[in-house]
Amino acid sequence: MNAKAEKIRVASIDPSYYQAVTDAIRTEAVKLLSEEAVVAVVGYLPGRRIGTAVPGLVTTPEQAQQLIFSPACVNNLSLYLTKAKKGVLKKGKVAIIAKGCDLRALAGLMGESQVKKEDIYTIGIACAGVFGANSDRKGGLTEASIARKCRECTVHQPEGVDLLVGTLPELPQLTALEAQELARLEALTPEERWAYWKEQFSKCIRCLACRQVCPFCYCEQCLCDKNRPQALESSPRPAGNTAWHIVRAMHLAGRCGGCAECERVCPMDIPLNLLNRRMAMELKELYDYEASMVPQEKGPLTRYQEDDDQSFIK
Amino acid sequence: MHAEKLQHDFEPKIVAFVCTWCTYAGADLAGTSRMQYPANVRVLKFPCTGRIDPVFILRAFQKGADGVLVSGCHPGDCHYMAGNFHARRRFAAFRALLGFVGVDLERLQFSWVSAAEGGKWVEVVTELTEKVRAMGPMKEFKALEDEEQWSGALNTPELREAFESIT
Ligand code: SF4
Ligand code: SF4
Ligand code: SF4
Ligand code: FES
Repeated sequence: MNAKAEKIRVASIDPSYYQAVTDAIRTEAVKLLSEEAVVAVVGYLPGRRIGTAVPGLVTTPEQAQQLIFSPACVNNLSLYLTKAKKGVLKKGKVAIIAKGCDLRALAGLMGESQVKKEDIYTIGIACAGVFGANSDRKGGLTEASIARKCRECTVHQPEGVDLLVGTLPELPQLTALEAQELARLEALTPEERWAYWKEQFSKCIRCLACRQVCPFCYCEQCLCDKNRPQALESSPRPAGNTAWHIVRAMHLAGRCGGCAECERVCPMDIPLNLLNRRMAMELKELYDYEASMVPQEKGPLTRYQEDDDQSFIK
Repeated sequence: MHAEKLQHDFEPKIVAFVCTWCTYAGADLAGTSRMQYPANVRVLKFPCTGRIDPVFILRAFQKGADGVLVSGCHPGDCHYMAGNFHARRRFAAFRALLGFVGVDLERLQFSWVSAAEGGKWVEVVTELTEKVRAMGPMKEFKALEDEEQWSGALNTPELREAFESIT
């Protein structure tokens, strides 16, 4: 791959695009907070090191002036409306910044009655892409530093939001690395695939960061923490790891919004999104279901049709 | 009166997760009608196929099953109306996942067996047992389990013997 040529092409994303998005977010956040239309805005604030960003909850117009949007804004903020942060919504309406992939998570959470549409104000970003984990961010957003999910994103342009900010710059065509990797794995024999995943799963240290970061892993008691009876071994060793990964993929099947946050936070670089993607492909094929940016009443595994495929059943 | 018992090199362990209203009754019927079927199958009874969590299947393989059968009421006959319709989707997804991870799906069978189908129960169980027998033991999950106990990195005959005495 000619990295330099790609870089030039991607560098054509004008930095003024990020500035424009940042300005639009600030204007709207200040307006919402000073009019008291919302009690808080969940967005991104500059990190302590240059070029980084951290999720933040701002409650005053002054703080809202600090909000930013840059390729370092990787987090899926919908996480900050559930789980430990569930209390946030009790205080009143909250505005939230969402990229296309984050919107799918928000829509999913609405479908699962975890978040009410009327409780939030969504500021959707026409998103050009964000940095991948461990990428070299010095040259800005390039072919080398863009996240894998963004290479084949279908949701650059948000839908169904209360406010859309930014105009999408022209985006280069990038090779779909994840789709290629999926196709490669599919073409292997079951034994080879088992060997591949065994190796991958053996790296897992069971830090459960993938679970903590996932907006859909909101169960108050996770099956993998249960010990009476124990459903799966909790120590980071081969059998338990394999079981954990199968259970995780299964529990997210038909719900996952494809934000790839689980993969981003994995300290052991396990390609979790391949499992998510594989399940999404299957559910698309079988039940014509796709995660979308607007809430759907039911997911593919919580509804059924009498004539669903049963060719695998005797 | 017993059919002559064949000696096999390998007796597979088959775990059957069944719903109590149809398949369990069907298996019972097979028994009371004195039909013969392989004794390899261990039957676990559930209220409904909707209660059969995919993690149970996983656990069966992990704990040494060579084959797994999941069976319940025919579509439309579920005693809780839609348990088996939901289960059907869940199992379709689970199969795809196992296949992607590299599990041989021939070891996992799903079926609908009603309370009147003692004969079908015998057929399904016999077929799966013989298929799995021909495939040999399910090694993949067992290997993981062994590694969980003992990494194999310190491979001395004494350790091996001690390990075998406890497993
Ligand atoms: S996947 Fe799409 S919407 Fe999400 S960060 Fe990447 S480009 Fe933006
Ligand atoms: S499973 Fe991963 S990609 Fe899917 S919603 Fe959860 S964090 Fe995002
Ligand atoms: S984040 Fe990675 S290492 Fe941690 S539990 Fe998840 S898969 Fe395992
Ligand atoms: S009661 Fe038999 S499948 Fe639901």
